[in-house]
Amino acid sequence: MSDKLKLALYWAASCGGCEIAVIELGEKLLDLMEAAEIVFWPAGTDFKYADVEAMADGYIDMCLFNGAIRTAENEHIAKLLRRKSKVMVAFGSCAHEGCIPALANLTDREGVFTRAYLETPSTDNPECTLPQMHCVVPEGELDLPEFYDTVKTLAQTVKVDYFVPGCPPVAEQIWNVLQAVISGNLPEPGSVVGAGQKTVCEECERIKGEHKVKRFVRPHEVIADPERCFLEQGIICAGPVTRAGCGRPCLHAQMPCRGCYGPPDGVYDQGAKLLGIVMSLIDGEADPEEVQRLVSEIVDPVGTFYRFSLADSLLQTVKSKRD
Amino acid sequence: MATVLSNQLDPTFKDEVLAEPGGEHLLRCYSCGTCMATCLVRRYNEEFNPRRVLRMVMLGMREQVFRNPTVWLCSACDACYPRCPQGIHISELMQAIKNIGMREGYEPPGPVAEVDDTACSGCGMCVMACPYEALYLKDKEVEGTMHRVSHVDRYRCMSCGVCAAVCPLSAISVEGYSNEDVLVRMQSGGWLSDRQAFSPDEPRVLVFHCNWCTRVESDWAALSEFPPNVRIVPIACSGRVDPQFILLALSEGVDGVLVVGCDPGECHYKQGNYIAQGKMHLFERSLSQMGLDPSRVRFAQTGTDDRGRLPHLIEQMVDDVKARALVGAVASEV
Repeated sequence: MSDKLKLALYWAASCGGCEIAVIELGEKLLDLMEAAEIVFWPAGTDFKYADVEAMADGYIDMCLFNGAIRTAENEHIAKLLRRKSKVMVAFGSCAHEGCIPALANLTDREGVFTRAYLETPSTDNPECTLPQMHCVVPEGELDLPEFYDTVKTLAQTVKVDYFVPGCPPVAEQIWNVLQAVISGNLPEPGSVVGAGQKTVCEECERIKGEHKVKRFVRPHEVIADPERCFLEQGIICAGPVTRAGCGRPCLHAQMPCRGCYGPPDGVYDQGAKLLGIVMSLIDGEADPEEVQRLVSEIVDPVGTFYRFSLADSLLQTVKSKRD
Repeated sequence: MATVLSNQLDPTFKDEVLAEPGGEHLLRCYSCGTCMATCLVRRYNEEFNPRRVLRMVMLGMREQVFRNPTVWLCSACDACYPRCPQGIHISELMQAIKNIGMREGYEPPGPVAEVDDTACSGCGMCVMACPYEALYLKDKEVEGTMHRVSHVDRYRCMSCGVCAAVCPLSAISVEGYSNEDVLVRMQSGGWLSDRQAFSPDEPRVLVFHCNWCTRVESDWAALSEFPPNVRIVPIACSGRVDPQFILLALSEGVDGVLVVGCDPGECHYKQGNYIAQGKMHLFERSLSQMGLDPSRVRFAQTGTDDRGRLPHLIEQMVDDVKARALVGAVASEV
C-alpha cells in the first residue's frame, strides 16, 4: 500500500470525451502517477465493480465522476463511489448539469425508445424490438439496468463536493485541479473548480456591442465575420452566460460559445438568462410582426439556450414538480 | 403666472437650437398642443409640456428651459412625432436642446443606471440592448488592472432597466429596480416559498406591470384590493423583466405569471415592450417544447388611454388560471 493519493475515475451517461480529456494531459499523466495511484478507472485500467465494493468506505481520496445519471446502473455506481470516496467531483458537463444527454428530458423513456429503436431512418427493426429490463434467451436470463424517464445530474443523486465544468473540461484546467488536490489547495466544498469567475465574453477578443440584431441565423447558414461579436451578427452565442476558463476553443474555430462551462455565479438559470439577453438585442425599429418573425427564427429554443444545462435548470424543476 | 421680463431673454437661443443637429425645425411649431395631448411623460408628470418648452426656446428663455427638470424627461418614445401636423421630430428637437444644455454644464435630474466595475465582464450586452445608446465600453483601471467595462452616459440614460435585465453578472442596477429589489418584491412575506398558505381555489398569480400602464388613482386603488394570492410587482418597463424571475416563480409552484406592458408604438422607452413581447413568446415556446403548459405565462399590453384596464387584465388572468386548475382537477379524477 502506498500513501499516494488514491484516485478513481468513472463514466456514467457520457460520450467518453471526458476520458479523452484526461488522456490529453499527455506527459503530465506521468507526473500524476508520481503523486497519485489510480484505484478504479474502467475506461483506462482493468478494475471491476467488485473491486470497488471490496474497498473500505472512504478508501478513495477523490473520485472524478463524469457522465449524467441516466440508468439504475449509473445511480448505483454513483452511490457506491460516493460511499467509498472522501471527495466526490462532478467532472465535466454531464455530471455537472446534465449536458447533451439531458436534452432527452424534453421527452421520456418511451419517447427516447420510440425514436431510437423505431423511427430513426437508419433503424432496421421489423419486429419492433425494444430494450427490456429482463429477458430469457436460450443461453439463460439477461438483465439490463432500468432506463429512467429523466436524466439527472450527479448532485441530484449524491452529495457532490466540487464541480469541474466543461464538455469536456480542457486539459489545462484538469491539471490545475489535480495540482490543487495534490497540494491540498482546494477551495470551499460546493465550489466550481477548474474555471474562471466571470464570463467567456471577458476573454473574448471580438469587437462587441455595435449593432442591433435584425435577424437570427444558425452558424451553418452564414459565413460569420471573424472579428465581430457573434450575437451582433444574429448568431446565438452563449458567451455572456457562460463561465470563463475554457480558453475559447470554439470561438477560435469560428463557432459561437455553446455554453458548456455552465453559468457564472449569480445566474440561476442559464437558458432563461440567455433567452432574455438574446431577445433584448433586437432591432429598435421593430414592430410586433417583426418581433414575431425574430422569435420564429430561433429554431430550437430549449436545445439552443439549455444545450448543456437542462437537467440542472429551473425549467427542469418546473417540469419535475408537475410530474 | 410667471412674469417674463424681456431684458432677461436671450434672443440668440433659438438660433443656437436651430443650428444644432435635430433642432432645424423649431420654427415650424405653431403651438397647437397636439404633442402635449399625446405625450406619455405628461400623463405621468403634469409639469412636462413639450409645446411650452418649444415656446420658451423661441422666446429665448434659456435659463428657465435648462433649470426646468422637465426638459430632460423626454424619453424619445416618439408618440408625438406621427401626430405633429407640422412633422416636427420633437424628440430630436428635445435632444438638440439637451445637447446645448450638456455643453453648458447642466445635468439631468433623474437617477441613472449604475455599473459595478468590479463585477462587469465587459460583455457589451447592455450596450447592444440599451434603447438609448446610453452605454458604451470603456477601458478602465479596476482593482489595479486595466479592464474593458461598461460605462453609463448619464445624459442619455432614461433608467428603463433593460440593461439590468440583460446583465448576466448583476453588475448593473437601476434605482428601485435592481435584481434584489425585484426579488424582494416577489418574495416578501414568504409569498414565493410558502405555497401552503394558499388554498387550491386561490391560485397564486404573479404580475409584473410596467409603471406606465397605470395612470390614474383608481388603478392604484384597484391594484391594492387584490387578495394576497395575487402578487403585483411594478417595474420601470416590461423590458426590465428577466425571464429568470418568471422561472423562479414557476419553479416555486406559482400557477400563473402575467407581464403587462404598453401597447405597440406606445412604449415610454421606445422598444421595451417589443423586447418583452419577444422574451415572453420565446419563453412560451420553451415551455411548450418542454411539454409544459405555455398558458401559465402571459404577456398582455394596454394602451395609454385604456385607463382601468390593468386590474381587468389581472382579473382575467386569475380567472383563466382558476378555470385551468378546475379542468386539471376534473381530468385527474377521470
